[in-house]
Amino acid sequence: MMETTETIDQDKNISVQRTGEETRKLAFKNVLCTSCGLCEKICPVTAIEVEPAGATLEEQEASKIDIKEDKCVLCGMCACICPYNALEMEIDGKSVKDIEEYPKLLKSAEISEDVCVYCKACETACPRDAIVIARDLPERSKLVTGEIEIDKETCIDCGICEELCPADAITMEHKEPTADSPTVSSDIEVDKDKCVYCLICKKACPVDAITAACRQCSYGEYDLKAEDSEITGSTFIDEDLCVDCGWCEEICPVDAAKVEKAFEGTITVDQEKCQGCETCVMICPCNALSFPKSEESGGKPEKLHAEEKYCIFCGACEKACPNEAITVERTGIKSTPIKSKSWKTAFESVKGTSK
Amino acid sequence: MTDQSVTNTHGVPMPKHIISGLKYLAAVELRKNNFTQKEIAEKLEMDRSTVSHYLNGRNISWHSIEIAEIIRNFCPRDFSTLTYALLQDKKKTRTIVKICSNKMFKCMVKNTCIGCGVCADACITEAIVLDDLEAQINSDWCCGCMICMEICPTKSIEIKEVEDDGDYRNY
Repeated sequence: MMETTETIDQDKNISVQRTGEETRKLAFKNVLCTSCGLCEKICPVTAIEVEPAGATLEEQEASKIDIKEDKCVLCGMCACICPYNALEMEIDGKSVKDIEEYPKLLKSAEISEDVCVYCKACETACPRDAIVIARDLPERSKLVTGEIEIDKETCIDCGICEELCPADAITMEHKEPTADSPTVSSDIEVDKDKCVYCLICKKACPVDAITAACRQCSYGEYDLKAEDSEITGSTFIDEDLCVDCGWCEEICPVDAAKVEKAFEGTITVDQEKCQGCETCVMICPCNALSFPKSEESGGKPEKLHAEEKYCIFCGACEKACPNEAITVERTGIKSTPIKSKSWKTAFESVKGTSK
Repeated sequence: MTDQSVTNTHGVPMPKHIISGLKYLAAVELRKNNFTQKEIAEKLEMDRSTVSHYLNGRNISWHSIEIAEIIRNFCPRDFSTLTYALLQDKKKTRTIVKICSNKMFKCMVKNTCIGCGVCADACITEAIVLDDLEAQINSDWCCGCMICMEICPTKSIEIKEVEDDGDYRNY
């Protein structure tokens, strides 16, 4: 006969398993959980209890959620609603994400490499460090406006250009003069990879030994080629870390990033109740909440600012707020089609507020 | 614990002894419904000579038949769970129970079913499968033990005993 067993490992991850006609396994990853409470809300058998989020901010002994093995029937609803992939369910080794009849939240984040200019703004802004932008820059020497040349016949080895060059592009081979070679330098070289064509050397040269060849003016010998300034690269979004918060889409200057969110909704802050404890700011995985810096130092902190553009309406802040100052209301939920009536009802039931 | 089966006076372990009685009852029932000995042997997974012996009242103790008769008249839950305990096989349990018992059941799953599969795991006749996150119960295979109904976390299953209309006998 079937049996449900539960194990908790040292990283506070929970595994619940039932072996019968098929083997069902529910895996909870503690580190990914934000204590938003959606699993607790959807569980049809009240097997899940989410610990108060305020307490989870400090190092805690227990897992962020508690799954009661005597109640859990491994239906998988919690795994299908979790927006953080903290709960995953497998049936006979196959993730329910790969089983068609189980609904999946419609959420995604994509960066179009055809449009991306590899500015890295999204990489910097991503609150989950889920984005990696790798870029290959063109050779700098190909982008400078021109080149210099030193006429070694005219050069008097004064070393002024070497001393002045801000890019350390000029090197003189200093030496002691000898009878057979009565000069203070054996050679002078320009490193074209370093030279930025600032022409300080040319202006400073006391004997006019430096010639400038501009690439842009019609008298120059060179022209800038478009392909020389091309920037190539690649973009990567770690789907395990990404929570589809929308930061990359909002910050991208060229509209290369597109984010689809599973929940629609609103977030409102009761400024009277907010005590400025910042629990919500710490708990939000989307950096959707912030306290604007006070203008004058030592001044009273500004009020909490909640930005719906970056919010995924998980409700973690609402649950964590010790003063009930935040209200998150889910007005819509997008998922793959659901045939089962009870699953439809369950998914609809996460709409509204928790209050 | 080692297997110290209780044996009867002929040295046959009791569980097997009772299974023989149940198979005898099933063979007789099938014979009444005009199954051939060959068909009976296939259905009950016995060899034909044993079927022949049983139908002629040979190689079987009358006492085991009496016990099997008592078991057959148990309520559906006791009859099927005891049979399953003896046979340790869901398909064989279904065959014996459905042939020996003349009870028919109508099974309904309400749309509150969440597709957790607890009922399918618990069903001792493998009458339940999941389809589109909802349990589907094959009423023909239901032995009426009601375990699924009791175990269902959302109370979504209804089982009713119905009149045997005689010609279903879809063993």
